[in-house]
Order: sequence, then structure tokens, then C-alpha cells
Amino acid sequence: MPRVESRFPPWIKKRLPASPQADSTRHILERYRLNTVCRSAHCPNTGECFARGTATFMIMGNVCTRSCRFCAVRGGEPEPLDSSEPQRIAAATKEMGLRHVVVTSVTRDDLEDGGAAHFAAVIRALRDLSSEISVEVLVPDFGGRKESVRTVVQAEPDVFNHNVETVPLLYPEVRPGADYEVSLGVLQFARGLRQRMLTKSGLMLGLGESKEDVEAVMGDLRRVECDILTIGQYLRPSAEHLAVVEFIEPAEFERYLELGTRMGFRTVASGPFVRSSFNAAEVADRARLT
Amino acid sequence: MYEVRLPDLGDDAGDEAIVSLWHFEEDDEVVEGDDLVEMTTDKATFNVPCPVSGILAEIIAEEDETVKVGEVLAVIEEE
Repeated sequence: MPRVESRFPPWIKKRLPASPQADSTRHILERYRLNTVCRSAHCPNTGECFARGTATFMIMGNVCTRSCRFCAVRGGEPEPLDSSEPQRIAAATKEMGLRHVVVTSVTRDDLEDGGAAHFAAVIRALRDLSSEISVEVLVPDFGGRKESVRTVVQAEPDVFNHNVETVPLLYPEVRPGADYEVSLGVLQFARGLRQRMLTKSGLMLGLGESKEDVEAVMGDLRRVECDILTIGQYLRPSAEHLAVVEFIEPAEFERYLELGTRMGFRTVASGPFVRSSFNAAEVADRARLT
Repeated sequence: MYEVRLPDLGDDAGDEAIVSLWHFEEDDEVVEGDDLVEMTTDKATFNVPCPVSGILAEIIAEEDETVKVGEVLAVIEEE
């Protein structure tokens, strides 16, 4: 039999779990008509996370007003907000038995507040469900609007995540609608509003950035007192997206982990398949313990 | 006979993958949980575990073939 030469290095390999739990997770999400970034962004960890009964909810629709060249979420005209979504997320959370809920969204530049009030409504719905549940939000940059950041933070999430995604040099190519300084500003402003909340950010590697660029971003994140850092390998969702320039070796991810720890992040998750919300409950637990 | 189908890989669009490597040949004994076949998508390589133990009676999707989620990869004669 002919053998296909793998397009990926040996460490870009996942094992699909043989678990019926994944179907159960899928059914709950379908029943409550909820989007997940797991599926919409074609995350390679989806099978694993769904099998463990976890998922990252993606609110405010399935259509993004930006067109970042690394992301599989489709762009275009977004749908109107659905005021029942916070309750549906709370109901799914209850059914899934989640103790740590991660909520992200598409970017909604069409909304005056960028969707901040909707984020806050979701956080409150989860708080009403149980005071035991910890809530992590992964927010867009809200166009740098401080009032929007304030609206989200005032709803008291336990973890406030905003990803810088890549090094500033690559923003025009990777995140054409975004601004590195604005993203740092969002993290800094959120940090200043509420000290008891953990802040978090993440980077994808393999887009052509240098080690020095990555280390400089890590330094910038520490300067804005970011608590948690995630670093993973960029994987191209389809042939229409940005090509992978380099597959970073596992030892290099390990080096960033050690460096980040020395730099003072409360916790660092760094590895080829690390994604912003992957193992979020465990990552947040680790950060709380330090 | 147990039909091994390509499980959901998490992809919302283009739910398909290429068979890149069979870890067993026809008539081999397989054990539930063993890596049965390696599939490649746009994003990564995935190992699909054996859902049941038995004899790998027939490989339906040959290496280099593109398979959609839910399609049959192989047939296992259960123990």
C-alpha cells in the first residue's frame, strides 16, 4: 500500500478519544443552539475537550466583523443579538456540570459597545446559576473602548483573557483590523479596574516571528501585569488561511514556559497544542495557587 | 461485524480527512483502545483508536483516500 508522507512533524499528532461523552457534549450544545469556538475555529483539541465534557462557548453569533487571516470563524454581516443566549449558556453549563466556564465571542464592531453588555449579561446569568462556578471571558479588543472593558470587568469575571495572538511586527498580515498597543491597553485597563481578577493572554507561534519578538511580547505582557500566558503552535485551518511558516519544536515551547515562569507570570501553558482556552480550568487553578 | 466510522474531528467545515497510515493489516488482531489508523486533516494528524476488540476483517478506506466524517474506514469482526 502506498504511504502518504505526513505534512506534519511527529509532534503535531492528536489521539481521538473513544468516548461517548463527546456526543453528549455535542447534543447539549445543539439543543441549546450554542456556538463554540472549538468547532467554529476548527480546533484540533475539540474531540478531546468534548470527550471531557468541556467546551468554550462563543457568543453573539457565528459571524465575525473582522477577517483575521489565521482564524476559521467566517466574516460577514453578523446576526442581531439574541437576548436568550445568556440563559441558554447557563442552562447548558448546568447540564454539562461545568465548574469553570469559558466564554468568548466573535468580534462585533457593528455594536456600539462591541457586545460588552452581552458579555456582562452572560457572566451574570452564570453567577445567578451558582456562586461556585468560576467564569473566564476571552474578549475582543472592543476597539480599545475603555467603557466596554469596564462593563465586562464590573460583571466580575474570575479570569479576563484577551489574546495578543502574535508579535506586533506581524499584525498587518495576521490581524489586519487590530492594533497591538490597543490589545495591551485592554489588558492593562482591565487589570487596573479589578486586582482580584486574573488576567490572561496568548500567542500563536509559527507565523514567522523571531524568538526575540516573542520574548519582547512576553515582557510587554508582564509590564501590564498579565497573570497567565498561553503559547501554542499556529495550525492553518484551510488552504485559504495563512500558511504555517515554521513548526516550533516542543523543546522551544518548554523554554518559553521556563522563561515565562522566571519573568513572573503566575502560570504559563506552552506547547504545540496549547490553545487559549485549552484546559482553562486547570490553568486557572494553577494561577490561583501561586 | 463492527463498522469503524471516521469520528467527528471537531471541524465544522470540510469534515473530511485523508487516511495517512493503517497501523494494522487485514486479519490482524486488534484490541479496543489501540491506535488503529492515522488520519490527516488541514490542521493536524489524528490517531483513531480501535472502538472494539477483534479481527480487522476489512480495510475499506485505503491509505491516501479522503474520507468524510461518518464514513466507514474498516470492519472489525468482534470477539
